[in-house]
This record gives sequence, structure tokens and C-alpha cells, in this order.
Amino acid sequence: MPGTDEVRLSAPATTELPRLARLTASGLACRLGFSYDEVEDLRLAIDELCFSLIGTQGRPGVVHLMFTLDDETLEVEGTLESGERGPDPVPSGLSRKILEALVDDHEVRRNGRDQLTFWMRKRRLQLAG
Amino acid sequence: MRQKFVALAETGDPAIRRELVEAHLGLAEYLARRFSHRGEPVDDLVQVSSMALLKAVDRFDPGRGVEFSTYATHTIAGELKRHFRDKGWAVRAPRRMQELYLTLGDSIGRLSQELGRSPTIAELAAETRVSEEEVLEALEAGQAYRLASLDAPAPGDDEGESLASHLGDEDPRMSAAEERATLSPLIQALPPRQQLILHLRFFEGLTQLEIAKRLGISQMHVSRLLARSLAELRTAAEQS
Repeated sequence: MPGTDEVRLSAPATTELPRLARLTASGLACRLGFSYDEVEDLRLAIDELCFSLIGTQGRPGVVHLMFTLDDETLEVEGTLESGERGPDPVPSGLSRKILEALVDDHEVRRNGRDQLTFWMRKRRLQLAG
Repeated sequence: MRQKFVALAETGDPAIRRELVEAHLGLAEYLARRFSHRGEPVDDLVQVSSMALLKAVDRFDPGRGVEFSTYATHTIAGELKRHFRDKGWAVRAPRRMQELYLTLGDSIGRLSQELGRSPTIAELAAETRVSEEEVLEALEAGQAYRLASLDAPAPGDDEGESLASHLGDEDPRMSAAEERATLSPLIQALPPRQQLILHLRFFEGLTQLEIAKRLGISQMHVSRLLARSLAELRTAAEQS
């Protein structure tokens, strides 16, 4: 699609993952002209979503991250392939509330037996000046 | 005063030393407070600053024609900066990134005020004369920056008022208490000031910049407190 870019990377589902995801997402957000405020929100959202996949301690398996950006929107999808059935994703009400404030749309879902997926979209605000 | 320093240099008399230190404790405390907006407990800073004052008194050479206050200010400020570089970081980040992170804090505040909105990363990079990647790397490094004691006085606040006092008589923590209690008892376990910032961001929908203005603290501080609160909530959620 014209004006759309896609970046993919895969990494072990360890505690290093959120940092990697944050850095990649903020680098791409920077290309879109996100403000500091928006980048900070994005970083917090990525942390929260990575937590929904791998917890605070990491899990066995690999996470595939896909970043999609057009002129003003960044979407991030992360899928954990664990090879084992983990607990169902039940984002707490609090987690949903937090993510609602940080990004435009988000979702956490199970994909088949051993895959968990998160998805989020954040749109850049038009600069006032 | 100079004669006392001469006497100390000649005799090493501990009573003179103590007298000179006590006479300049106000300077040490003043300098410590000037660094208090960077997210360290004021008591810790006063401690660092007082130790530096002792060092300055011991090392001052009255024969060199420099005022002690000038010499001590230089020594104490140097120790305070070193304290931030060496001890303010929970995880070691490259010194250049630590310094850039602190510089960015000032730039974010200045640009936000000038532009009337949050600056872009490109604008921050231009302002601090580094690449956008370096700005992002420094922000990431800032994640490792040790957070303020949440009981410390609000920055720039000589009276030691609490953050909550910036909100006046109204206590918004109570107005959303029910909603928050329903959503998560975990929040209730956080210190009140962390609850307050979470409330303003996620329940009242204020931006980090707006919270910073409202509480009179830097946006970077708000950002760190939010990141820390959410990390604590996640850990608590896993344990519960």
C-alpha cells in the first residue's frame, strides 16, 4: 500500500523484549513526528502490552513483532509463540483503562492453542505550532 | 573568616574546623536544594552536600586569594553532580547518556513552554544538538534513573510542601476512589502520591505535560513516576 511501511522483528520472550520493542516503536514514532508526550505514552503502552504476553519474568518461546506505519499512525502487533498453552489473556480492567488512555485502539487475544497476540494503534496528533 | 581558615591551616584545631563547617551549612543546604528537582530526596542531597563542605573546609587554601564561598560552591556543586552521575542510576547507563538525559529534561521544559505543546523528538534533537536516535537512547537510559522518593518535597519548593498540596483543598483521589477501587485494589497499595499521578493520567485523562504543569514538577519526573507505578502494578498483579 502506498505510504505504508512495515518492520518486523522476532526476539526471545525474555525480559529484554520490552526494551527492544520500546526502542523500535519509539524510533518509528519519531519518523512520524510524534511528540515527546506521545512517545512516552507509546513506551508505557508497549510495556503494558508486552506484560500481557510474557509477564514480568519472560516466558519460553519467541515473540514476533510487526510495526506498521503510514503517514500519521503506528500499529504494533506482537505474537508470542510459546509452544505451550499459557493462561488465557485476561487484561485486567485496570490494564484496559491504562491502555485506553495511552493509545487509540488495542486488543489482546489468543491465537490458537499456543499463541497470544497483542495489537495497538496510535495516531499522531496534529501539531499546533 | 579568612583568619580562621589560616588558623585552621596552621593548627588543624577541630573546634575551628567545626565552627567553619557550621558557619557554611546554610550554603551546603542551599546548593542541595538547587539540585532537588532532579528526583533525589533532599535529605540525601543535603548529606552529600555537607560531606562536600567538610572536604572544602579541609582543602581550602586561604593563601590563594579566592573566597571560601566561591571555592566551596564549586566543590559542593561538583560533588552533587557526581552523586547524580554515579549514584542516581539504578542500572548503569553510559555517562554521556546520563548527562544527555538530564539535559533533555531541561530542554523538554523549555521547548514545551515556548511551543505551547510537547516538542517532537526531532525538535529535542535539534535543541540538544544530538541525533534523534541519541535522544531516544537517552530516554531509554532514563528508565534506569533512580526515582525520587515520593515523600520528598516538590521540586523548587523550599517549604517542603507535598505534591498533593499543589492541588489545593480538593482531593481528587477521593472523587475517583470508588472507580479505582473497583478496577484494582492494587492501586490502593501504592503510595498516595503515585496514586495521584496515576489518577490524573488515567482517570482524568491529563497528559504528562499537563500533570507536570499542575504539580509543578518536570515532565520527565512525571514520566518516570508513571513508568515506575505501572511496573509496580504489574509486579503486584502477578503476585496476587
